[in-house]
Amino acid sequence: MRIRTASDLSQWAEHVRKREANISIQIKVCGGAGCRAAGAEVLRDALIQAAGEQQRKIEIDFDKCLESDANTFIGMTGCQGLCQAGPLITMNGELLVGVRPKDAADVIRAASGEISMPARLYYRSNPGGTPLKQKSEIPFYAHQELLALKHCGELLPQSLASYVHLGGFTALFNAFQKSPEEVIDIVDASGLRGRGGGGFPTGRKWRSCVDASKAGDNECYIVCNGDEGDPGAFMDCALMEGNPFVVLEGMIIGAYAIGASQGYIYVRNEYPVAVSRLRKAIVMCREAGLLGDNIFDSDFSFNIELVRGGGAFVCGESSALMRSIEGKIGEPTSKYIRSTEQGLFGLPTVLNNVETFACVPFILSESGSRFSKFGTEQSKGTKAFCLAGCVKHTGLVEVPMGTTLRDVIFTIGGGIQNDRPFKAVQTGGPSGGCLPAEKLDLPVDFDELTQVGSMMGSGGMIVMDDRSCMVDVARYFTRFLLGESCGKCVPCREGLYQLHTLLNGISKGIATKRTLDDIELLACEMKKSALCGLGKSAPNPILSALNNFRDEFEEHVNLKRCRAGVCAGLTTFVIDETKCTGCLRCKSGCPVDAISGSANQTHVIDEQRCIRCGACRQVCPDDAVQVAK
Amino acid sequence: MILRIDGKQIEAKKWDTILSAAKRNGISIPSLCHHDALENVGACRLCVVEVKTSSNGERKLVTACEYKVAPHIEVFTHSEAVRRSRQTTLDLLLARAPENKLLLDLSRENGVESTSYSTSPDANECILCYLCTRACEKMGCNAISAVGRGQGKSIQPPFLTVPDACVGCGSCAAICPTGFIEMIDMPSKRVIWGKEFERAKCESCGAPLIPVAYREWAIANRELPEDYYLQCQECKRKELASKFSGLGVS
Amino acid sequence: MEKTLVVIPSKCTGCGTCKLACSMVKGKGEIIARSRIHIHTTGPDSHVQTTCLQCVEAACMKACDTGALVRNVETGAIEVNADRCIGCGLCEIACPFGHMHFNLQTGKSEKCDLCGGDPACARFCPHGALEYK
Repeated sequence: MRIRTASDLSQWAEHVRKREANISIQIKVCGGAGCRAAGAEVLRDALIQAAGEQQRKIEIDFDKCLESDANTFIGMTGCQGLCQAGPLITMNGELLVGVRPKDAADVIRAASGEISMPARLYYRSNPGGTPLKQKSEIPFYAHQELLALKHCGELLPQSLASYVHLGGFTALFNAFQKSPEEVIDIVDASGLRGRGGGGFPTGRKWRSCVDASKAGDNECYIVCNGDEGDPGAFMDCALMEGNPFVVLEGMIIGAYAIGASQGYIYVRNEYPVAVSRLRKAIVMCREAGLLGDNIFDSDFSFNIELVRGGGAFVCGESSALMRSIEGKIGEPTSKYIRSTEQGLFGLPTVLNNVETFACVPFILSESGSRFSKFGTEQSKGTKAFCLAGCVKHTGLVEVPMGTTLRDVIFTIGGGIQNDRPFKAVQTGGPSGGCLPAEKLDLPVDFDELTQVGSMMGSGGMIVMDDRSCMVDVARYFTRFLLGESCGKCVPCREGLYQLHTLLNGISKGIATKRTLDDIELLACEMKKSALCGLGKSAPNPILSALNNFRDEFEEHVNLKRCRAGVCAGLTTFVIDETKCTGCLRCKSGCPVDAISGSANQTHVIDEQRCIRCGACRQVCPDDAVQVAK
Repeated sequence: MILRIDGKQIEAKKWDTILSAAKRNGISIPSLCHHDALENVGACRLCVVEVKTSSNGERKLVTACEYKVAPHIEVFTHSEAVRRSRQTTLDLLLARAPENKLLLDLSRENGVESTSYSTSPDANECILCYLCTRACEKMGCNAISAVGRGQGKSIQPPFLTVPDACVGCGSCAAICPTGFIEMIDMPSKRVIWGKEFERAKCESCGAPLIPVAYREWAIANRELPEDYYLQCQECKRKELASKFSGLGVS
Repeated sequence: MEKTLVVIPSKCTGCGTCKLACSMVKGKGEIIARSRIHIHTTGPDSHVQTTCLQCVEAACMKACDTGALVRNVETGAIEVNADRCIGCGLCEIACPFGHMHFNLQTGKSEKCDLCGGDPACARFCPHGALEYK
């Protein structure tokens, strides 16, 4: 079916709504990476089997389900948010957590009203708490504000009908009723800034591209950066997997605004699900006339090509990404001339992040004026974050800009696992930094984070407790970057190697008093002289750790002690006699048999044999394994 | 247009980079990866200079080889920030190739005696300036390229095998500033990138000339007839001399 | 009109002063063989000097793809811009008269540039066998 007018859209949505009413059971299994890892696909198959055994008429393709007499739909959505409690299921509006394949028959039976839903499948704030059925009751969801991720987890990502049903492409139609300049004005007025980390105002970027292409009488391109590579970040992945249409719609609106006829969406190949769903979404949009020639019967034609990345972190950097699309080596080039003037194939190019494009349809929708009501003075709207690390509720969250770190970590994230003390939060991935407890009340927006030496980045947020060693964290990110530096410019290539060597020295206990100064000097020089954003921001994790946790670094250097018990060369583990109950768990967990003692007797660690892996500490239920002072 | 470099007013063309404008005006800026005939890559970061734009008065480090001149900018080629940055870069490069003469000379000129960092075990004298790959690209062969990434990056033929596209012109070896690329010329053959090239022989005296493959490539790619590539220098000069002999005047 | 370097073989005694002068000016005199002017003995007491003819349709320039060979409009000489030479060596083999020299040490080509308008060979020839006029 080809969509030509707004009434085509609303008729289609109405049609879906009517048909959907016939489906009495709608089971949506979360297909986010976390839930898939927890067995969501096996669970879906078990549900299908159970439904079949209970004589339900099942359909697993939403489009077919609408046109058939099936009364049960079982399908997979994108990420539903609360990864910690996966696999998740949304069933007729209720959220079920930690569903196992063995629960499948019960779930189907409960859905048909034969039995009541087993209470164990509902979320509880603590083990004895009341089961909460609706997302709105669960603190993790209640404090969020979903704009970009609005339909993620609800929409069927392989069905255009599902997207249209949820109001999809009305924003595009709205945009087409305006002139391209007006669209840019609206985006500009919304205060939307690039979600990829830099935070450049999107409207201004679009306008400068238009100006450059008019001045040179050139074509221009629109590119979507889906090469999310930060450790601990998966927002873009969730968006592309969960709602590929909103990304495409945002791109089409952008293309209309700047007058591009060709767009590229660059997705890292490590996201095969995102790649296949986007591909399918592009085909569906093309068939519906939402991509291709004469969109909405206008003069405007636009095509999107999907380009897969080759596995280089640096290709998330805009100039490297464009070289990669051009078929050249994915290495950054100097950006003394902006890509809005000379970008892809040397022509004016707008490059935005997945999440940025996902915000655009909301801004152009009826309720678009709400966008700038969220956020701070300089950073409007909301931002998706990936809560990871030692936080109780790891998962995908979206909050208004300006929400404090404390709210994100403690209110939404539920605090630190095992109620250990909070030590640091790492934002912005390898380009960002670690912030200590004193910065917890910092409102999260582009400028605030930059001011304290971290970065918004793409939105990774890794929470650490007192068992994280900041030297080790700095070393981890440096090693990551060492492996990912493209090696083009000297400061990044050689500098990271030297920084890593110096940090290794600290964690081995062979560093001297000068080492910290050497690290700081080199890091500062790298920041100034490296070629691209990756190299310029590569020292951030080290510098922020040094600034905020200098005493811990000095302790490593001067006292040869790692308080967190992570740096193997500086740690000795002992078992606290007063706490040890002799449960044998540490003994059986030790990979080198360094722990002696029998049941109900205090265990003892053989210091000679111990390799300081910390496995005993991880498994001890009584916190008896401690770092020797 | 007029700009200021180190307080001196200089005239520059609109296509100039800071480096080219400085050079024309006798202001020296060190560089390792820049070459006038090749596209700039900004890899060595040695030509960094400080630029103050009139818009906000902020001073930032840029690479002189890539930064296009603009009216009223002020450039500092030897400020404290520039000096420190160059020293760090050279210090880091020396850690990679501590014995290299070119680097040692350049470092001493810039106030670095020896590296203060540890040498990596697999370091070598290739400083990854990309001159060879760009020269190869300029010749139109594209036989070598940077392979891998980070510290382990190296210049290699595709798939680390003998490069099909190489014609043995030797530009890479000639342009390599540290002498890392090895080319062996023997009377009968030239060896480079693990590939052996049979050398053409002078039609008159049999002296070795360029590789046969290179000659064929030149015939196909340059507007010169085949017989231009047949004789050695000496024989060509002798032939010219014998023609002159008795004529009196050239 | 620009001046020309004129060789008068009848006056040449084969003494080699021109070669010495050239190598002094162009290469600190270290290697006389690298002189850009050559003397050929064609018979008893018969010598011919040869050097770059600064051809109008120069083969070396056609062989060079980097713009490293440029004609000096004042002297008419074809000069090597060493900053643009990538060392491919094609100019050397292309020159039909053997007067392009590829320097293996520097990896760049070298040739007679008429010393920028005052050729040392002519200045130092004791026999008037080389004239620049």
